[in-house]
Amino acid sequence: MKAMDLDLRQFQSQLEQDKPLLVEYWAPWCGYCRRLGPAYEQVAQQYGDDLTVARIDIDQEPALADREGIDLVPTLILYQNGKAAGNLVAPMSKAAIDGFLQAHLPGKEGV
Amino acid sequence: MDRVHDLVILGGGPAGYTAALYAARSGMDVTVLEKLSAGGQMGLTAQIDNYPGFPQGIDGFTLGQQMQAGAERFGARTLLAEVTAARLTGPVKELETSEGLLKARAVVLATGATPRHLGLAGEEALTGRGVNYCAACDGMFYKGKTVAVVGGGNSAVGDALLLARVAKEVILLHRRDTLRASSIYDKALAEAENLTIRWNTVVTELLHDQRLTGLALQDTVTGETDTLSCDGVFVSVGRAPATELFRGQVTLDPAGYVQADETTRTNLPGVFAVGDVRTKPLRQVVTAVADGAVAVHFAEEYLAQQGTP
Repeated sequence: MKAMDLDLRQFQSQLEQDKPLLVEYWAPWCGYCRRLGPAYEQVAQQYGDDLTVARIDIDQEPALADREGIDLVPTLILYQNGKAAGNLVAPMSKAAIDGFLQAHLPGKEGV
Repeated sequence: MDRVHDLVILGGGPAGYTAALYAARSGMDVTVLEKLSAGGQMGLTAQIDNYPGFPQGIDGFTLGQQMQAGAERFGARTLLAEVTAARLTGPVKELETSEGLLKARAVVLATGATPRHLGLAGEEALTGRGVNYCAACDGMFYKGKTVAVVGGGNSAVGDALLLARVAKEVILLHRRDTLRASSIYDKALAEAENLTIRWNTVVTELLHDQRLTGLALQDTVTGETDTLSCDGVFVSVGRAPATELFRGQVTLDPAGYVQADETTRTNLPGVFAVGDVRTKPLRQVVTAVADGAVAVHFAEEYLAQQGTP
């Protein structure tokens, strides 16, 4: 499964689903977001059964980014039951994303 | 995982993927361990103009991806994993990673060196958006603008002088009241009219919107705080080789770089060091890729001497 691009409306609808949602807030001018890309795609493939993995371009959705308190990109936010359960700013490695998800998704150790 | 690879390469920068290309082309079973994405340090470099073959220059991320694709075309594999422990002294090298244990008959250390950071909130995310670590690489983006340089050694002063030739105004921030830089810079510093030095000053916060907009500063003597508006900051407080995992096994120089000559051979049989992590006079993409090719030449020789397991 690939990471999907969401706009505000799609984000709202994903938020209502039972499946947890991971969003990378990014921007086209952000070099570090680009560097994160290959690892983030692998996260989407690896966790896709348990998690919806998505991306939101903060230039396209500035009001949403503001509402979610996005101060820096890339910021990853994990939403569970419609609410933000944790966030991770500019992870240094894929292992850092794994660690973040395993800490927040019960029973996902060793995915 | 009992399979023993011919060669495992730690780090997917230009040195690592060149080694992977040469190894795959000579028929070795080779895996690159990379923690984030190909390119290493150059992955955040917006424009590389000193790597030959690209008359318009190329961005470092794209060059890294292309180096990866080139190596994978011949069968090299990439595993996005963080190495947590390395046992390199025996004939079979063992690497514990976030994706499990890997074994290899030979190892290439291509973990690079990273500029030391200030350790402030948002520093990683603001890199390339006002926060910079290489004046020679990114100085031109600040033509006619105001920039700060943090540090007091030769490289900080060299960076400040280089930037003074392009920027409108340069402020050198140093936490002590004298420079560590050699006195050969004194005359040039005195003559650079658009360069000022703020002594006893540390940066406490990076101010930003989408980009850096300024710095919060503190005087180390009086404790007074202040802000400085600027378009960019160049952090020039030294570099740190990524060698902590190998300390005690591989011989390091006093600065922590892996001791290896132009053959890239380290003190350990079957362990080679390439790119910025190796002791060398010039750390550039071109010298990194050269190391990658040389390392595989000597790794092949080593593996042939060892015989087929």
